[in-house]
Order: sequence, then structure tokens, then C-alpha cells
Amino acid sequence: MTELYATAIFLFVLFALLGSSVWVGLALMGVAWVGMELFTVRPAGDAMITTIWTGASSWTLTALPLFIWMGEILYRTRLSQDLFRGLAPWMRWLPGGLLHTNIAGCTIFAAVSGSSAATLTTVGKMSIPELRRRGYPEYMIIGTLAGAATLGLMIPPSLTLIVYGVTINESITKLFIAGLIPGLVLAALFMSYIVAWHFFKKDERPEPEPKMSFGSMMKESRFLIPVLVLVFTVIGSMYFGWATATEAAAVGVIGALTLALIQGSLSWDTFSASLMGATRTSAMIALILMGAAFLSLAMGFTGLPRALASWIDGMDLSPVVLIAALTVFYLVLGMFLDGLSSVVLTMAIVEPMIRQAGIDVIWFGIFIVVVVETAQVTPPIGFNLFVLQGMTKHEISYIAKTAIPMVMLMLLMIVILVVWPEIATWLPNNMRQMGG
Amino acid sequence: MNDWQSILGLPLWALLFVIPTLLAALSLIYRKTALRVFPPLWRVLDRLYLASGMLAASFMCVILLIIVAQMISRWTGTTFQGSTEFAGYAMAGTSFLAFAHALNHGAHIRVSILLNINDFTKFWVDAGATLIAAITATYFARYAVKTNFLSDILNDRTQGQDQVPEWLLALFNMITSSPADWGTIWANAGSGWVYTPVWLPQLPMSIGTILLAIALWDNLVRLLVNGKTNIVGEILE
Repeated sequence: MTELYATAIFLFVLFALLGSSVWVGLALMGVAWVGMELFTVRPAGDAMITTIWTGASSWTLTALPLFIWMGEILYRTRLSQDLFRGLAPWMRWLPGGLLHTNIAGCTIFAAVSGSSAATLTTVGKMSIPELRRRGYPEYMIIGTLAGAATLGLMIPPSLTLIVYGVTINESITKLFIAGLIPGLVLAALFMSYIVAWHFFKKDERPEPEPKMSFGSMMKESRFLIPVLVLVFTVIGSMYFGWATATEAAAVGVIGALTLALIQGSLSWDTFSASLMGATRTSAMIALILMGAAFLSLAMGFTGLPRALASWIDGMDLSPVVLIAALTVFYLVLGMFLDGLSSVVLTMAIVEPMIRQAGIDVIWFGIFIVVVVETAQVTPPIGFNLFVLQGMTKHEISYIAKTAIPMVMLMLLMIVILVVWPEIATWLPNNMRQMGG
Repeated sequence: MNDWQSILGLPLWALLFVIPTLLAALSLIYRKTALRVFPPLWRVLDRLYLASGMLAASFMCVILLIIVAQMISRWTGTTFQGSTEFAGYAMAGTSFLAFAHALNHGAHIRVSILLNINDFTKFWVDAGATLIAAITATYFARYAVKTNFLSDILNDRTQGQDQVPEWLLALFNMITSSPADWGTIWANAGSGWVYTPVWLPQLPMSIGTILLAIALWDNLVRLLVNGKTNIVGEILE
């Protein structure tokens, strides 16, 4: 009975604080404080700082600001133009033409940045006007972009996966490597949608692109190649066990700075702008993580997560049913909260549940990223939709409608993950890992 | 130890929570006076937030340098003792010191369904949310400072292998003592290295959380006086 009472109190205070627009990190602290004062005799304030200090000064967390910084640097270079110009000559052969630059561009930028909003702006800034000029239908341009930008959180480095790994104490490197194949499969799904459009809507096809010699194709994409080299260095060094996630991030930052320097877009202004921007984003995530750490401590004292886990266990659900229920749960949660917050907020409760049910936590990390990312392109609160609205000045409802096929594909992706869990677990189980 | 003992005849909770709330309420009632009194203070505070943010950014560069140094030392076969601890301290510095700066640049996220209904709800919901946030942040800061002091009193040392030079500790000691004692402190500081006392890396935590609390009270007052907060470029979902 106490558990039920505790759950009700926690949920009520949580929704009251979050709903009244208190900043997420501080709201979580407030909820945790109420829980500590009501259900334990421990001094709340001291326990809070001990937990927060241990978490905030941890070595594993250092990968977070560095990966953010790497993305920020490349975001401020000419990469946006180069992505489109460099990819276009290679994509024009495919059925569906230059629409594929949206997917390929997002995939590449996702591999240097951990955020889907940054991926969306970088690729969209160039591809939206160029694709419009060439006469591709608007709904295809917007829809594919909205969907593909979610790859930003799937393909390593991914901020959500770092946060997930830190929260449940799992190897970030493993999570990153696990996200690789599912991310590429999702990209392939998006591309096959474009191919299908090409064959089913023949009248919407624009004029084919003019021919281009191989030499000029190489010339156009000369800026793209260093970026690809950087991507392979960062991901490869983690996969082959040469570097920890943090070290790979440091290599990424230095590589990005070098690229920007060679390209001539590194000035003191862009350097300091990228540094300050990264500092702010990292502080934002740190505050949420601190609130979540205190909240899971408070919930741990009430025994709530264990009780819930054994309750779920007692119901004898099959893992598939549990996953289906969690999918619906996260989609609903994602209607009101952003992806990061919904992951950290629920992990204290969900982690014992999935461990009890014998679900692989690495696999679950990939699953949860796909689900919360799907929520980013569904109304009423979908971050990607807001970014796209700012860029295109279309109504939210229109953008959401164009993204529906992508949402369907992402739901299909969840089914694929459930049916073939190996696509997420095979690669991390076969990589060489270094200690630490 | 009583957490809320009296200072200057008032219990600490009154000083930390009630007085700022009253100040905010008064500034709503006497807007004109507030508009005369506060602006110089606002200019100082804005510089303070920015300075703290820049310090946080430099800690991020420090993380990068430590990790690069760690990789180089591994390749060259030397050891960099306590590199992971130092990177962790720098991480804490980056996060805590940037809180206030991030707040004023709208980087901290929140659910804004109620904020977006109309201007009336925006004002009052925002004021309420900022008040709750300010109280929470003040509580956070109060215990951060307490923990920081306790680490010093209990002479808490690091669990890792990281060491700092004694003269650095002496420097910080001098800041908190009267100039008359500086000579003795400096003379007594050895030239060796000691295991990092935990209070040192915890300093950014105290400073950062205090600044966050101040920034939130500051935003509340600015909202009540000006009708808008100091937060620029917030993406309201």
C-alpha cells in the first residue's frame, strides 16, 4: 500500500512541477526532495549533494561535453554547403534523386554530432532551398528531413546514449557501437521510401540532374572526404579498442578543429561561439542528470522501483508484451517531454524492470532511442517539428503530416529490433574493448 | 549541526527563502523604485554570469588537454597520475559554473504548454515557475556550500591517485584568512605535493550553485519589474 501511495505522490508532484514550467533538472530535484522528506528519515540535503557530486565529477561523463563541442565546431563550418554539394553528384543516379541527400547528409552529420536538432539545421539549411529549386515536392523534402534528422541520436556519437549509459552505468562505447547498424538500417528504410515514391508517383519526379564527369564529382566532394575520414577515425578507434569513448571524443574535437582550420572557417569568433555553445548544452544536460540522480536515490529509498519490477515480474508478461507496453508508454511521455528528459526520468523505474525481465540493457538503449526519437516527430510536442517550423514557416500540422510515413518506418524499425535483436547486439559483442 | 541555525538573529531559511521572495514581491509593488535601484546591480550580475560561463568554457578546454595528455602519456609509456580524477573535476567545473550562463541563454529546457496559452498565463506561470526553481536552486546551493565546508573541516581527501602542489592550497587558504596571516601561511606551505583535498574541486560546485540561485531570483525580479526575464533565445516547445 505504501508503494501505491508513494507512486501517487511522486507522479502528482512530478507532473505539477513539470507542468508549471519549472526547468526539468530543478523540477526533478524538487520531486526527489518531497519524496525524501515524506518517505525517509535520511537528511535529504546531504544525501542529495553526495550523490550529485559523485555523479557530476565522474570520468565517464567527460565524453559528453567533448562530443557536443565536436558537433558545435563542425556545425559552424561550411560543412552544411559541402554536404549538399558533395553528396548531390553521387545521389543523382539513385531512383528518387537528390532527395537522398537528405538521408545521406543526415547520416553523415549524425556521425559527427549527437543531437538531432543540430543535424536537422545543418542539413536542412542547404538541402531545403536546393531541393525546392529543383522542383521536388514539398511534402517529400520536409518529411524525409524530419525523419532522417532523428538519425542524429542513433548513429554514434549520440547524446541520448551517453546519458543512458551514464544513468545505468553501462559502457558508452558499447552503446555507440550498438547504435551503428540499427542507424544504418533505419537510413536504408528511409531511402527505400524515397525509391518507392520515385516509382509510384512518376508525375512528381523533377527533371533529372545534368551529367557530370567523375573528376568534377570528386572536386565537388573534396571537402566531404576529410569529414568522412574523421567519422571513421572516431568510430573506428572505439570499435577497435584503441580509445575509450572520451578519448575518441577528444580526437574528434581536435580533428574538427583541424578541418575547420584547413577550410578557413575557424576564426576566434567561431571558436569561442562553439566553445560557449557546447558549454551551455553540456550544462543543461548536467543539470538534468543531477536532478535525475537525486530522484533515483529518493525513489530507491522508497523501494518503489524494486516493488514495481517484481510486480511486473509477477504478471509474467512475455518480453514482447513488456516492450510493446513500454513503446506506448514512451510515445505518450514523448508527447510532453523531450527525449533526454524522458530517458533519465524513467530509468530509475525501468532499469530494474528490464533487468528482471532479462532484456539486454545495451539492446534496450537502442530501442529507447528509436522510441523517443519517434516521439520527436509526433505532435503535440516534437522538437524536430519545431525546428522545421522555424526553418520552413510551415504549420506544425503540415510538417507532422509529411512526417507520418517516417514515423511508420520508425515503428517498423522497433519491430525489426524486436524480431532481430542481433542487429543491435552483434557488433558490440564482437568488438575489442579497452578497459575504462 | 543545525542546518538552519540563526545568523544575525534570523533563521537561515528566512534569510535564504523568505527575504528574496519578499524582495521580489516588493519590487512588483514598487516598480518605479525598483527600476531606479536595480539596473546598476543587473549590469554587474550580467558580467558575473558571463565571467562564470567563460570560466566553465575554459574548464572544458582543460578536459580536452587532460585527455590529450593522458593519451600521449600512454603512447610514450609514462604515467599521468590521477588524470581521470582531474578530468572529472574539470567536468564538474564545466557543468556547475555554466549553470547561470546557460539559464540566461535559454539552454535549460522546460515544458511550456502552460506558458504558451496567452500573455497573462505566460507572465504568472513564468513567475511561479521561476519562484519554485529559485527556491529549489537555493536549497541546492545551501547544501553544496555545507558539503564543501564539511569536506574542509573533515579534511576529506581524494579516493584516487591525484595530487596537487601544496602552494596551491596555501594560495586558497590565504584568500579566506586575513592578510596579516599570509606570511605565515606561505612560509608554512611545503614545496611537496599532497593528495587533493576534496574541498578544492568542490569550490566550483559552491560557486556555480550559488550563482544559479542568484540568477533565478534575479530573473524573478526582472520579470516582475520589466515584464520579461533576462532569458534570451529560449526555444519554447
